[in-house]
Amino acid sequence: MIHPLILISVFIVSAVLGYFIIRTVPSLLHTPLMSGMNALSGVTIVGAIVATGVAFLAGDGLWAQLAGGLAIVLAAVNVFGGFGVTHRMLKMFDKKKK
Amino acid sequence: MSALQIIISAVLAVLVLAGISMMSKVRTAVAGNLLSAFAMLCGIVGTLFFAGVVSVWTIYVSILIGALIGSLLAARVQMIQMPQTVALFNGLGGGASALVGLLSVHGDSAFVRFTALLAVAVGMVTLVGSLIAAGKLHRILPQKPVVWKGHALCTLLFLVLTLAFVVAGTFAHGAGLTVCLVGAFVSASLFGLWFSLRVGGADMPITISLLNSLSGVAGSIAGMAIGDVFLVAVGGIVGASGLLLTQIMCRAMNRKLMSILTGGTMKPSNPTPAIEENENEELVQRIMDLEKKIKELEAMVADLEARVQALDGQLNAAPAPAPVAAPVEEAPTAASVLSKAKDVIIVPGYGMALAQAQHQVRQLADKLESRGARVRFAIHPVAGRMPGHMNVLLAEADVDYEKLYEMDAINDDFKNADAVVVIGANDVLNPAARNAVGTPIYGMPVLNVDQAPEVIVCNFDLKPGYAGVENPIYTREKGVYLELGDAKETLMRLMAGIA
Repeated sequence: MIHPLILISVFIVSAVLGYFIIRTVPSLLHTPLMSGMNALSGVTIVGAIVATGVAFLAGDGLWAQLAGGLAIVLAAVNVFGGFGVTHRMLKMFDKKKK
Repeated sequence: MSALQIIISAVLAVLVLAGISMMSKVRTAVAGNLLSAFAMLCGIVGTLFFAGVVSVWTIYVSILIGALIGSLLAARVQMIQMPQTVALFNGLGGGASALVGLLSVHGDSAFVRFTALLAVAVGMVTLVGSLIAAGKLHRILPQKPVVWKGHALCTLLFLVLTLAFVVAGTFAHGAGLTVCLVGAFVSASLFGLWFSLRVGGADMPITISLLNSLSGVAGSIAGMAIGDVFLVAVGGIVGASGLLLTQIMCRAMNRKLMSILTGGTMKPSNPTPAIEENENEELVQRIMDLEKKIKELEAMVADLEARVQALDGQLNAAPAPAPVAAPVEEAPTAASVLSKAKDVIIVPGYGMALAQAQHQVRQLADKLESRGARVRFAIHPVAGRMPGHMNVLLAEADVDYEKLYEMDAINDDFKNADAVVVIGANDVLNPAARNAVGTPIYGMPVLNVDQAPEVIVCNFDLKPGYAGVENPIYTREKGVYLELGDAKETLMRLMAGIA
């Protein structure tokens, strides 16, 4: 188990770094940026995979596995859908340029 | 193994950040998005190995189902539906985080219980709030703020209850923990419902940004509960980005975040004292009726004016064979103004999105450019229903992004422009924002459309915008042409009028 303090510092460091990098994105691209971020928030799929896997291997009740499976499905929709629409939007912006 | 996992997670998080920073330029943005997606894929594969769950087949089935649904939605959705799509996906991510919290709540340490409960709470707020927002954006739910009895009090109560359950659950075991879990789940959902119903249409850019931030935070907290560094890091990045966008939107609207959440949502103040209410009620009712009638009449007059102007435009267009040498002595019309203009600024707003008129807007721009005019687009930061909404719609219609100007970049050029065409925008160009103290938009930075010599307004009607403040431009004596009705049709008329 990773120490809570490490986890909290990882959160703070990445939030600060992210804040300053995202500031460079012009308002022109705010919608794709948001939808890209939205896709990234589906990263919780990682958590869903761990939780489901652990429940499965430990032979936990069916409801735990179902809940985990549902979590994976929801997160996967978020990830694939999010990156998909972002890609479509960005290509639209770019198509004029040669 | 734990050290290796941390290092790999850090590398992947840096890749994600690199991908985001590539999204600051149009040319590198596509690659940046793919890079982020690639880092995510690596993170998923890595997790399968590190958590030792490679053999669990249900995981792959679930991913496949989700991937199919997500890809189908992504391929099918129209650009016009983007705000609600983003809101919907966002909610699903929050829901997934809540479920992760639900599954890991029976941990040994207080830290795990606390973070798991918090993930449930934040995840449910995100899920419910996003679904309501998506419903409002999809126009299934009312655009106006919904205010129930004791709304502000209930919102606060649910928030406090949620926090109380989370804290109590941290120190609970067995049945007590389950009670707290259910309590946090329910009260967080209710909080999400109450706070998002209260938000009106034009405050959506702020709400979506905020929910975006929350979904990241929910993921990050869920990551703390299960001890996954990658999840914590990426969740933190998303949380920060959403917060930054929220901040930008708030500044652009001169609103305080708290006032949107807790209920100052553009509520018109009611100065009538309570004591005289009974006597005055009838009078107020009558005045309101009269006002309504006046508005109706105004709308009819405006409609007639529009028709007359349209006919004028057609008349001007019809005798085209006559040589240009004969100067037209008639009063100028919108079409004639545009025919002569050499420097035109187009101001799009949510109305353009509603009428789906972005393609007609581009045709108008093309037509003007083919006549040698310079055409630029002025984009207010909160025009539309999500950050950057107008840019996406215009990009869909093949407008070159280099013609899209941010407010600060173009605001000084309005006074030098020959003509300004407003398409479905109102509050973002209302000069009342500069001097009408006490109105909801007072202090909000607006586009200087009123400084332009000739303004053509292609709005659906002359009703005040979402903020409910009359726009003095409409009643300006000179140089204003009102082309009311569906923007698609008015634009077609305009184009027909330009010889």
